[in-house]
Amino acid sequence: MKNLNSKLTMPDSTSENDSHLVTPDELPEGVTLREHVYDGIQEYDQRLPNWWLFTFYGAIVWFVLFWFIYYQTPFLKSDRQKLETKLAVVDAKKSEEMEKVLASLDNEALRKMSQDASVVQKGKEIFSAKCVACHGADLSATLNGVPLPGLPLNDNVWKFGYEPMDVFNLVTNGSPDPTKGMIAWKAQLGATDILQVVSFVLKTNQEATGGAEPKLAPDSPKLQEPAAETPGAGDQ
Amino acid sequence: MNAYKTTIEYDDRSVRHFMVASITWGLVAMLAGVIAAFQLNFWEMNGKFLETVTFGLFKSEGLQYITFGRLRPLHTNAAIFAFVGNMMFAGIYYSTQRLCKCRTASDLLTKIHFWGWQAIIVLAAITLPAGLTRGKEYAELIWPINILVAVIWLTFAVNFFWTLRKRNEPSLYVALWFYIATIITVTMLYVVNHLSIPTSFTHSYPIFGGVQDALVQWWYGHNAVAFFLTTPILGIMYYFIPKSVNRPVYSYRLSIIHFWSLVFIYIWAGPHHLLNTALPKWLQVLGMFFSLMLWAPSWGGMLNGLLTLRGAWDKLRTDPVVKFLAVGVTFYGMSTFEGPLLSIRAINATSHYTDWTIGHVHSGTLGWNGFMAAGMFYWLAPRLWGTKLWSKDLANVHFWIGLVGILLYVASMWVSGISQTLMLNQLDESGTRVVNEFVDTAMAPSVWGMMLTRAIGGTLYLTGFILLAINIFKTARAGKPVNETREVYVERPDIQDRMSWRDAFRNDPITYTGWHLLFVILWFFLPPGADLMSLLGAGVMAFLAIRAFRRNKEGWVGWHERLLHNYLPFSVFVLIAVAIGGMVQIIPAVTVNRAKNVEDRLQTLYTPLELAGRDIYVSEGCYNCHSQMVRTLVPEVLRYGDYSRLGESIYDHPFQWGSKRTGPDLAREGGARSNDWHYKHLMNPRSLQGSTTKSRMPNYPWLAEEKIDFKALPKKIAVQTQLGVPYPAMTRDEIEQDAREQALAIAATLAEKGVEIPVEAGSPEEARDYLAERKMVALISYLQKLGAYDDVEPGSVPDNRPSPIMPDIPDDHKEQLTLSEAE
Repeated sequence: MKNLNSKLTMPDSTSENDSHLVTPDELPEGVTLREHVYDGIQEYDQRLPNWWLFTFYGAIVWFVLFWFIYYQTPFLKSDRQKLETKLAVVDAKKSEEMEKVLASLDNEALRKMSQDASVVQKGKEIFSAKCVACHGADLSATLNGVPLPGLPLNDNVWKFGYEPMDVFNLVTNGSPDPTKGMIAWKAQLGATDILQVVSFVLKTNQEATGGAEPKLAPDSPKLQEPAAETPGAGDQ
Repeated sequence: MNAYKTTIEYDDRSVRHFMVASITWGLVAMLAGVIAAFQLNFWEMNGKFLETVTFGLFKSEGLQYITFGRLRPLHTNAAIFAFVGNMMFAGIYYSTQRLCKCRTASDLLTKIHFWGWQAIIVLAAITLPAGLTRGKEYAELIWPINILVAVIWLTFAVNFFWTLRKRNEPSLYVALWFYIATIITVTMLYVVNHLSIPTSFTHSYPIFGGVQDALVQWWYGHNAVAFFLTTPILGIMYYFIPKSVNRPVYSYRLSIIHFWSLVFIYIWAGPHHLLNTALPKWLQVLGMFFSLMLWAPSWGGMLNGLLTLRGAWDKLRTDPVVKFLAVGVTFYGMSTFEGPLLSIRAINATSHYTDWTIGHVHSGTLGWNGFMAAGMFYWLAPRLWGTKLWSKDLANVHFWIGLVGILLYVASMWVSGISQTLMLNQLDESGTRVVNEFVDTAMAPSVWGMMLTRAIGGTLYLTGFILLAINIFKTARAGKPVNETREVYVERPDIQDRMSWRDAFRNDPITYTGWHLLFVILWFFLPPGADLMSLLGAGVMAFLAIRAFRRNKEGWVGWHERLLHNYLPFSVFVLIAVAIGGMVQIIPAVTVNRAKNVEDRLQTLYTPLELAGRDIYVSEGCYNCHSQMVRTLVPEVLRYGDYSRLGESIYDHPFQWGSKRTGPDLAREGGARSNDWHYKHLMNPRSLQGSTTKSRMPNYPWLAEEKIDFKALPKKIAVQTQLGVPYPAMTRDEIEQDAREQALAIAATLAEKGVEIPVEAGSPEEARDYLAERKMVALISYLQKLGAYDDVEPGSVPDNRPSPIMPDIPDDHKEQLTLSEAE
């Protein structure tokens, strides 16, 4: 222990900054200077600032308290519980909206709506944001002559049915195999949104085809199962 | 005790080498960073700009070698390992020799270290742009290079500890403590996070998968920041700040407290990179609170740096070295305050996956690492070349340009990160749907414009660094290389390196600390009731320790003094301190049987083709922009779909949860779009109409040209099986045939839609056969698989990794607690 604080009796020969060394008599009140010098570097031994210590202790105490309260008491809900509760509210709202819309919805009502300019205008906005990527701004499903992923909506051929409710259900629930067709939009669009966008499609299609008789595509699943007539909006 | 005088010639040549290497690679790293930053504003920067630059001579829709997904790993690796790595070595070699009063132990090892490290960097600069990667952040280098890194790092370690052994200075100065911690911890982190099984000379799968891989990765990633970018620089701070201002270090006891608390606590904070994800809650809680506890220890370092300047503030005006060092330490304080803040789960919900994190990292790297490096270089250059700094004015210009650059960078990233989250989280009036498309939030002025500001800030910073390079070059030209020779006074007290292991371990400080920590850990893992007893035990131990310390301060302080005279026991205690945190977090997560990690969903196995596609996804660095993790947050679920469960990525070697969303999350991408949409989108995201026209994603036309490596699949599947992925037994031919059939089926859906292909095809069949060979099809098959899972009954999954240790996970008790509450 004695040897610990052995002083540097002789400074190193070429150490460039011997002259700066602080001597004990220069020390401010209450400050200790360590005796040992490393390559001309000295060390004070000042007290730790109180605010610093309290920050440290505070964080530790907070940790212990939180762990105790979370794991020993039922007061704090787990993330999953909190999330599920909130999502249940959202889901309830969504189904409520869909039910409300479906209650008064049939082919006739949809056709009527597609003649309402304000509804069609809102539908157009949604179409521009969500649908043009695959169906094209002019509903031709092409961009500069190059085909886009979607089916054209400006002709009188319909793969999944031409009745307004067929279109509504398709947009809502997607095509049978989404890797080869459209996704279900009910997660991203509300029932009213779908209503509007379908109105826009019906209206625009009517104008593009000049009201030509709509028909099913040769590969339409409808031709294989003629019994499946426009069910309700399905698996809500 | 004997004492004598001796003359030493320091090896300053190697210091010059490392310093020049650091500056050179620093320029490369920062240039890569600037280009990558501009790529996020202008997709053309992914290679198309070469058309403009070469006046159309070089035609390119995008150059695969410099897409953001490949350039960003190059940038981060170059900045961390090449720039800061070489800077750290320069500082360590310079200061260690002087603090030990002896020349580095072996010139040969130093040479091997230097040239080996540069070889690693060159190999990294070749392999990363080529798309050879392990797909884990800051751990991207492929396995043969990993081995080289380990060998070179150990060479450095041997050289360093050998120098300590030969030292002519009885006790270890605080800078050396930090160097010791660096060498030991980086070795541990690097080895564990790089454990992999090769499938070929350039490819391997990490042995951990899913949540385990996520945990190990961020234990490593976070502590690479801690022990590669922080502790060595703190050591450098402790040497160069007192040197440059000729003032004593502020407080020795603060050094002790903040050193030990920093190295012990840092390791635990890794899970704060995975907050609000599927990571088990107890790990998230540990990650968050240890980050908060880390605030004070980090600021201890800042205080010791800044308060050392007290009494020398006038030098801040006159000496560029002091300017850089003082501001560097200030940024250290700033980013170590921001870090704990971002670790609070509620705040992290806003900051994570956004630019805020990027800003945070750069206030550390540009402000702390970069400015400390500059300060050190400006201090060293005149001494290493025996002359004056070529231009003080130029150094001052560098300082101001650099500072403005950092401030622009950091502030713009705050604005960008926060405003993007606000836009992403915005719901419609009904509160049931998010209103903004991802790409629209990314292109909003408060995000896109801020990212441009960031790129400008980065450019300014690079400009400043170029000035440094010029200044140092001119200084070197003006002077001559000097190797300092010094006559020193040597004393070898009897207590130097004589501590017995008994003396090291059998004493009050270690006994009390050991028992206290044991009780704390038992408190985490014991069943209810017993855990409270352990907490009580920990409290009693803390009380007893304080009482013992009060009664015998001399003894405790004296023991630590003796420890400082004995580098070996000191290093062993450092190893123990840094090992505990990782062990507590990783061992339970790895040994707990797989069934517990699965919860109610089990990932559907990838088919051979999908696995090939996944390797392409990793190789292109898609994870640099796309996460695969829907967090447990309402807006996130409304945007991307059901929140991610642990079991859904259990077979992912490596995990792909990501850390930044420059594009949207892809966890639920499978089946969300058609095959030809993906094809067109990958060929050119702007070729589709609608919101994707605003995309800044690069084009990937080479994916429609390069062929799938079907022959590599059997080996890959064999390795996956070895790692515990339950593939059914398949022969080589079966694997290949399965892959080819699936490829053909997908190619057929593409050909049917008449997608454009790079060659002339006479018929759809020809186009199909062409596409069925291409990487594009494999990648699409993978994208269509994302989010596929099977519902399973909890506990029904066969446990193929039985474990001897079955810790009691606190989350299980929470579940029981809330269940009983519900009843």
